[in-house]
Amino acid sequence: MVIEQYPIAATPKYNFPQSTMETMLPQHFIELSIYSLKHAQTQPFQLNQQAFQQVGDLTECPQSLRLKPTPIRLNPKQKENVVAAVDTSTIKLGETSTGMVIAVRGANVWKQSGKYRYLRFGPFIFHITEENKKEVFNTLESAYFSLPYGYNHHGAPGFLQMPTRIAALLERWLQAMLSKTLENGIILFDGSLTSGTPDSPVQHLKGILATARKKGNTVLAFSKATSIRVNGHLITDLLPEREPPYLLETTGLKLKPPLVLLGDMYVARLTKGNFAFRLDIDSCLTPELKIDGVERLLGNDLLYQSYPETLRLAHILCTFTANEVLAMQHFVACKHRLRIVNRPDMHRILFGPFGRGESFS
Amino acid sequence: VKLYRKEGNVVHVLSFPNETVEKGDYLLVEDNEARRGLIAQVIDVQFASIPGVLEELLRSLPDGGDVIQGQDIDPLGIAPHITYIQDASLLVCKIRATVENKNLSPSSSWLPSRSRSTVRKLSLPTLLELAKINGALPIVLGGTKDRSLLTIDASSLDGRLNIITGKKETGKSHLSKLLMVNLVSYKATVVVFDLNGEYVSLGMTPDGKRNAHHNKIHVLTPSQNFKVALRQLNLHVLLGILVHALHLPGTSAREFRRIWQALREKDALTMHELGEAIRNWNCNQHVRDALFSRYHALVNSGFFTDNIAEATLLEEFSLKAREDGGALIINLRNTSAIDRQIVVEYLLGRLVESLTSWKLKAVFLFAEEAHLYLRETYWDDIVTRMRHFGIFTTFITNQPDTIRENIYRQADNIFLFNFTNEHDLDVVSRAARVDAETVKSIARDLPPHYCLALGKVVRDFPMVAKVKALDVKTMGETRLFFKEANS
Repeated sequence: MVIEQYPIAATPKYNFPQSTMETMLPQHFIELSIYSLKHAQTQPFQLNQQAFQQVGDLTECPQSLRLKPTPIRLNPKQKENVVAAVDTSTIKLGETSTGMVIAVRGANVWKQSGKYRYLRFGPFIFHITEENKKEVFNTLESAYFSLPYGYNHHGAPGFLQMPTRIAALLERWLQAMLSKTLENGIILFDGSLTSGTPDSPVQHLKGILATARKKGNTVLAFSKATSIRVNGHLITDLLPEREPPYLLETTGLKLKPPLVLLGDMYVARLTKGNFAFRLDIDSCLTPELKIDGVERLLGNDLLYQSYPETLRLAHILCTFTANEVLAMQHFVACKHRLRIVNRPDMHRILFGPFGRGESFS
Repeated sequence: VKLYRKEGNVVHVLSFPNETVEKGDYLLVEDNEARRGLIAQVIDVQFASIPGVLEELLRSLPDGGDVIQGQDIDPLGIAPHITYIQDASLLVCKIRATVENKNLSPSSSWLPSRSRSTVRKLSLPTLLELAKINGALPIVLGGTKDRSLLTIDASSLDGRLNIITGKKETGKSHLSKLLMVNLVSYKATVVVFDLNGEYVSLGMTPDGKRNAHHNKIHVLTPSQNFKVALRQLNLHVLLGILVHALHLPGTSAREFRRIWQALREKDALTMHELGEAIRNWNCNQHVRDALFSRYHALVNSGFFTDNIAEATLLEEFSLKAREDGGALIINLRNTSAIDRQIVVEYLLGRLVESLTSWKLKAVFLFAEEAHLYLRETYWDDIVTRMRHFGIFTTFITNQPDTIRENIYRQADNIFLFNFTNEHDLDVVSRAARVDAETVKSIARDLPPHYCLALGKVVRDFPMVAKVKALDVKTMGETRLFFKEANS
């Protein structure tokens, strides 16, 4: 396969202390993005704004989970540390006669010397078809994680999983870059440290956590929503009447293979109010370092509703607004001559005013 | 530009940042299949309601209100497309006409195809040609935004009631001078009630030399070079002055009529004889007192003379003006409020006389701040009776609420300069020849010296022009105390 090279401006690097490792923008993302779009030219294009939800911890099946009743008290540590966060987002822009057009974007946000900064990658737009999905995914995966082509035993994802899988690839790459470039900092991930899923192969995440540890970083993964329950109650609802900030430690979590949890799971209630989140902390760290990481986060970042501002900003910055979706649709229509068509809404055609199906959700 | 919506006579058009359309511009919405088009005027430019814009703006200011610093790696170059969509604007346009085979009709009842229609800017020269806003007697009002000239026809002012209004120092008097000078050049007779002495130098160039209009401009200053003798007057003109300007009661007016007849029979119609007659007249003391007080008001005005050589013969001007046209400037600058009313009553009475007897064909009357000298009943006269005599009035004011609502309703042409005050705009928007939204939206944003022409002069296609400069000595400038310090 020959990928046409488009003139792309030199990519800036992070402002963090640089390592010798490659932190350049994922060139293949750009190349594959443009290549896939070139093959979609002149196709009719059905608009769609349905967003994909990344799967969180639904695949986990905690059978013997327990929550330690005594909370771990936290004392914010004011010593200055860089707090950095990663998040990605994906959206389906529309359908073509052979596939779909999706957009992916990622953001790194960090707080240094009291100021927030960001580096945002994308949007990258892909035309995904049944024919090219394997090629697109494997090429990206092998390029960014130095894995042999088609290494992942799960193989290429299903057509409908492609948006989240490509976004997950970008997210892992951004996480890897942070873990390589940041030293003695706090790295915040969106989601859990569960691996062994198609989105998160064990080797990827293990490598990222190991690199982060080597550089003295602490990885904290916040899940916005969890379905994990103890005695039928969500773990984030079982909060003792104590003054926050505190952590509740969990024990006895066993996941069904091939799922592997690479972190220790806590319930974090970091500010007043009834908000608490599942927090996974790199399990290879000593218990003291784990607590120290959270205390440094408390001393260095704003926390609102128990959620770190840096991670909130990362999420906000990568999320696509309706305006951007329109702009990207305009881009593919103008630049790649994708013809926009309006396919009839079958719900409306068949059921008239009662056809309040997906199109109204 | 894309047609988005039509509601009644309003169309909404979507415009993108690379298309420069502004308020006042005309658009042609052409449906080629229907072989018809809508001519619509942009009356407001708004941001298009793009979903997600609020989130976009909020996202850029999360860091305690400061813009968050960062860098976007945007290899596909999507950012310009985001800006393009975000800056899209919605043009709110009023439909002015339908064009079919180059013929215009005021209809807006049909619906052009949204998908097939093309929308393009209609240049003013094309619109002027389509609307046939031209004629044998062109008056160039000024330049338009697209650097063409807005030319109206003098005949569209003929027999019409006009209003020139706008804030102070926006160029109202300048426009009235321009209209006046052009009317005079087409041999029309013009009378100006010049409240501030702004028109007295119309016959001069800015450097004080005589200009082309010099011989046609006649400046009359009451009690100086403008005096009248009683014997030149008809009784009803003088009674008009006494009753309307000096508020003489009816009983006293009846006695005055008798005194007048007695003096006329004796051929003794002089101010001196009138005073003597009132003194010696056999009548109630209160009536005599009332007559005497009015008599002294007439004497004190200095406007009346017994010296017939001093008296101004308006007939002379009428004769001259009838042949070659001309402007009679009544300089009311240093005239008191009562004397102003006396002069105006006299002049209007004499004009009606001259017009009734066909000594004059018609008169274009320019009245600045008319509420300061025009009696209540004249307002209705002007829009009804006077028009039939051939007095075609142009009111000039910076206080639009001083002109009655019925005048606005019947005004044929309105030349509107900038107004920002909501109340002023409300008053002007009562004019029948244009919708309130157009007036309010366009007039509020007019720069100084730009005028929105409404009505018959522009065939009901509201147009904006920068009023052109005149080769005359302008006298309407405000006298300033700190002028030297600021220059």
